[in-house]
Amino acid sequence: MPEIPLQSLLDCRLIIVTGKGGCGKTTVAASLALGAAESGRRVALIELGRDEHLHRLLDPASQPVGYAGRELQPGLWVFHIDPFEALAEYLGMQIGLESLVKRTLRQATFQQLLAAAPGWRELVILGKIGQLVNLLRDDDQPLYDLVVVDAPASGHGLIFLDVPRVIQKAIVSGPLRNRARDIETLLQDPDRTRLLPVTLAEELPVRETIELVARAREDLGVPLDRVVVNRVVPAPFAREFADLESRLEALPPETQLGALPSPRVLAQCMASRRARYELNHAYVSDLSGRISLPVVQLSDIPGGIEAPRDLLRLGRELLQKPGSRA
Amino acid sequence: MSIRTPKNLIAESRVIVCVGTGGVGKTTVSAALALAAAQTGRKTLVLTIDPARRLADAMGIRELGNQPQRVDVADGGPDLELYAMMLDPKRTFDDLIARFAPDEGAHRRILDNPIYQHVSGALAGSGEYAAMEKVLEMSESGRFDLVVVDTPPAQHALDFLDAPGRLIDFLDSRLVRMLVHPALAAGRIGARLLQRPVEAVLQLIERATGVGFLDDLSAFLTAIDDLSDGFKQRADRIQKTLLGSDAAFVLVAAPQRESSHNAELFLSHLDELDASLHGVVINRMHAWPGFHEPPGDLAEGIIAKQDVEQLARALGDADAADAAVSAAREHAREARRDRENVQNLSDHAERRGCFFRTVPEQARDIRSLESLTGIATALLSDSEVAHV
Repeated sequence: MPEIPLQSLLDCRLIIVTGKGGCGKTTVAASLALGAAESGRRVALIELGRDEHLHRLLDPASQPVGYAGRELQPGLWVFHIDPFEALAEYLGMQIGLESLVKRTLRQATFQQLLAAAPGWRELVILGKIGQLVNLLRDDDQPLYDLVVVDAPASGHGLIFLDVPRVIQKAIVSGPLRNRARDIETLLQDPDRTRLLPVTLAEELPVRETIELVARAREDLGVPLDRVVVNRVVPAPFAREFADLESRLEALPPETQLGALPSPRVLAQCMASRRARYELNHAYVSDLSGRISLPVVQLSDIPGGIEAPRDLLRLGRELLQKPGSRA
Repeated sequence: MSIRTPKNLIAESRVIVCVGTGGVGKTTVSAALALAAAQTGRKTLVLTIDPARRLADAMGIRELGNQPQRVDVADGGPDLELYAMMLDPKRTFDDLIARFAPDEGAHRRILDNPIYQHVSGALAGSGEYAAMEKVLEMSESGRFDLVVVDTPPAQHALDFLDAPGRLIDFLDSRLVRMLVHPALAAGRIGARLLQRPVEAVLQLIERATGVGFLDDLSAFLTAIDDLSDGFKQRADRIQKTLLGSDAAFVLVAAPQRESSHNAELFLSHLDELDASLHGVVINRMHAWPGFHEPPGDLAEGIIAKQDVEQLARALGDADAADAAVSAAREHAREARRDRENVQNLSDHAERRGCFFRTVPEQARDIRSLESLTGIATALLSDSEVAHV
């Protein structure tokens, strides 16, 4: 697979990280944000969903950051966007009567409507994201150079990003429609925005990524220029030892190796590590052969992410590695 | 069910719900449990949302059927009845409308309404609702002794359980009752007719969205009003079925640190709902050969030089000996780390009187019913760690 240099993700304003659940989307979003902050950018990292996880990843001793957000690492602010708070903020700005809005939102009637009504969560969350992208400092420079979103997993992620389009179809005119149009413009802007799919070198994630890339191109029009394959296992031993399993198995079973496992068990260890590696790499080739996009491979961190330094290592890898293409 | 073992799970439940975050192998575990139940003579259906292609091939369900298909189990004999079905959420929703609509005109008005088209199709929540609707339909059909459900990858882990309740609340709400009032169907808010809080809400919606949206919403709600009793009864029954004594939840997790932590969060959500957890399954454990305890010294990297030299002499190759020992050391570390990561979940299961089983990682993808049988064996074994 030839290597190709990629335009730096650091030149974007908004990166939306998505992928099948369990692929390490949150880890990749946090790593990317940390790597960007290390290179001097002011970064806003956005977490969605009911529970907060990111703060513990980035600073194990920290408390949840909430809607107002907090700087957890130098240059890295984390926000947890709850749709109800985003709605209150939006309606407050829209209508101007904050106390009326707050009173109305607290009513049981409204709560019931909101619990069942589709689409509004996505729209107000996207609106808040757009607001963070557009915030300016006193000198008219962006407050955040880069906004990274840990978006919902791919199926819901596609729905999430599709809401502005759906709303424009369902509503003929009015402020909500205009809001949806502005958000769609930001999402589709190739100078500012990237969709970054994260996947694993396994069957289902690869298949889902192929579908995700197709849908993003055909329906959403959100720019994407690479796919990240997370947790790629390194070769378990050098190529020259390819026949080592059979050499171990050929040893007499009674061979004494002290405290070491028997030759047969050693051979089994090697075989299972080799099988995993081979399966992994077959899927990387399969993926890069089927989407015409560069693939960036991130190495597996044995034992998983333990500390922010593991994230930083991944973040540097992600920002510096060239992509490869089948 | 007093003793919660895998064996009485598949012998006594009428519905098994496999829950867990995405990517942990819920579909595989669901299929393996269903196969195991069918092998004991129970007529079993596994209802899945998005199976891996090879698993779907293995069970013969490549197409989105929305109808149960008999799985051809080699050597199964005529008494083994296993069915599988891949859910089509949009069609399930359309079928519901057809069932509850009083006449063809009402049916068409709903299907043609722009709001319905977006609610039932793409927008979040409808997939979860449709899945639960299908579970009820299948479980009440009398065709199966057991229905095993592979839950949809919800945005929030347990959204699918709340989905029917949210629908009831919505249909019952005063706002909806006001919106289906004929004076509103014309699009103008007849303020005198309304109680003040509702009026305030409607004005807020109108100012935020524009008038057209309320018109469509009102037309939609008026059209489904005739159906709402049917919906309410269904939604109510869905919750009773899923949270009743005949249903059992199985939590599926992966042994990685993040996944086992998410699984612990999941457990507390299940508790809040009063759902009956029957067991915890850790899928794709890295296992030491023979599924024994990995050697502690090796995992710690404590390796005697003379042992390695002995291996080097036996192989006649010192580099090869080093390569073999370091691969084994990594393997032992990984196996031990997985055990440590799942310790909390194992404790939780024990405290709740649930079973706890681990399924070792397979060298290749599940592509046949035979490899599924291997997983079923691990799940049903009498001990935590099983041979496959």
